[in-house]
Amino acid sequence: MADEFTAILSTLGLSSEAFIAILILVLLVIGAVVVVIVSRPVLSIYPYLLPAAKVRARKGRLFDEKQLSEIIEVENSNEFVNYLRGFPDYANHLDNHSLEKSLDIQLAETYDLLSRIAPKDISKSFAALAKNSDIINIKSLLAAKESNLNKDATADLLVPAGSLYHTIEQLVDANTVEDIVAGLDGTEYSSVLEDALNQYNESDLILYLESALDKYYLENLLSATNVPDNDNTLILHSYIGTLVDVANLKLIIRAKADNLNYENLDPHMISRGYQVKDWKLKDLMESENVTSIINGLEGTDYSSILVDSLPVYDETGSVSIFEKALDDYVVKYAESLSVRNPLGIGPIIGYLNGKEKEIKNLKIIARAKREAGFPVSEIQEMLV
Amino acid sequence: MVEIALGTALAAIGAGVAIGFAGLGSGLGQGIAASGSVGAVAEDNSMFAQGIIFTALPETQAIYGFLIAILLLVFSGLLGGGEGLTTGAGLVAIGVGASIGFAGLGSGMGQGIAAAGSVGAVVEDKGMFAQGIIFTALPETQAIYGFLIAILLMVFGGILG
Repeated sequence: MADEFTAILSTLGLSSEAFIAILILVLLVIGAVVVVIVSRPVLSIYPYLLPAAKVRARKGRLFDEKQLSEIIEVENSNEFVNYLRGFPDYANHLDNHSLEKSLDIQLAETYDLLSRIAPKDISKSFAALAKNSDIINIKSLLAAKESNLNKDATADLLVPAGSLYHTIEQLVDANTVEDIVAGLDGTEYSSVLEDALNQYNESDLILYLESALDKYYLENLLSATNVPDNDNTLILHSYIGTLVDVANLKLIIRAKADNLNYENLDPHMISRGYQVKDWKLKDLMESENVTSIINGLEGTDYSSILVDSLPVYDETGSVSIFEKALDDYVVKYAESLSVRNPLGIGPIIGYLNGKEKEIKNLKIIARAKREAGFPVSEIQEMLV
Repeated sequence: MVEIALGTALAAIGAGVAIGFAGLGSGLGQGIAASGSVGAVAEDNSMFAQGIIFTALPETQAIYGFLIAILLLVFSGLLGGGEGLTTGAGLVAIGVGASIGFAGLGSGMGQGIAAAGSVGAVVEDKGMFAQGIIFTALPETQAIYGFLIAILLMVFGGILG
């Protein structure tokens, strides 16, 4: 065998050393190709492993159906607060703040956590999401000023979170809405609010300022995920695009129920949604009434869920049934996204959605428990 | 300079391939599993034991590769105490190394990914531990096939005995 092999090498003009050198070279090339091929999937999942495990641990601490049922059954607000004190996430804040504020702080901390641990390719979106705390605080400040609340009552409304908290805190004794807008000079919200200030001055409604902030927030979120280039950013883009669609639809439906026209609606619309494209948005804004809006959504996921709510709307005339249906849709859609990429963005969206849902439900229960004898069955219907 | 027979030199390459690629797969897999486990332990200290178990699982591929490499080194005469291998047996030795090396690479990586997913599932729901172990153990089979073929090649290829 060795002789035959040596003969073959001699025919090829190779010595044993040269053959081993070529063999090593071939193996090195194969090794390099293998390393490059196997590294690709590893490199894409590696940045998500630690954040995914962290959020899944926190998702495991969210209230399950049984715990939520126990909370709904409590007698009053005090019992509700005592129940929450049994959970460290809430107990830490309940010692120093009111129930509502503790829940807001919990949500703000969730946004903050996600913005800190999100991998690089999605960090911009989660940083934009974390700005929600600043938006909520500015809105609270504006609402307090409109209601002529005093300094202490206004300060009590603010959630101690967000990058602008200390700036906003200093504006609690501002005399007018204009003073608040001027006080925010130099921040990213300054121009947004200044643009909406004319409409506020004409109407005396802070709704225009709030709407401008909401639009800015969602546009920011959308632009952060504007160019999806991998599975994770595609999933995130579809989630945020759906949030934008739902915000637009809620506004159009409510506006049509109040007989507002295209010109009233157009400045508040956010373009580049996920399923409702700009041309469709224009059609919907030009619709005659709520029913024609829902008919115009045919071909989108929103059509079937809103059609199902139409009989109740015809009966009650309240558009809140559509808003609840859309909110429920967002929760279910996010749940479906959360299992699509288990070693990627899936668990992060799952936790974000789960936490938002939990806080929404706890706020609903908190409001219901303030009224003595509020029926448990009604609370259950109101829950997301 | 020590004179080494061509067959023995080929067996040395086989040993390098065996532990090199199996170790690469095992290392990547363990890194993936460890990263998930650290995240879980950071949030929940009680996850330390489960995290260690899941992180240790992709170690086996490196052990298989190490064993095969040692056997090749011993029976090729490279560590002394025996005659060198024939050229034919040396070529078989490269096949032995490739068998466990590449099988260990795929198996180790797959097991690491499964382990990281399982750690996430267990930290969310402690009742998922048994299922997580079962799913994580499944990619072990490819390494076992590679190991078995490597042993068979050594036995019938004239390296062992």
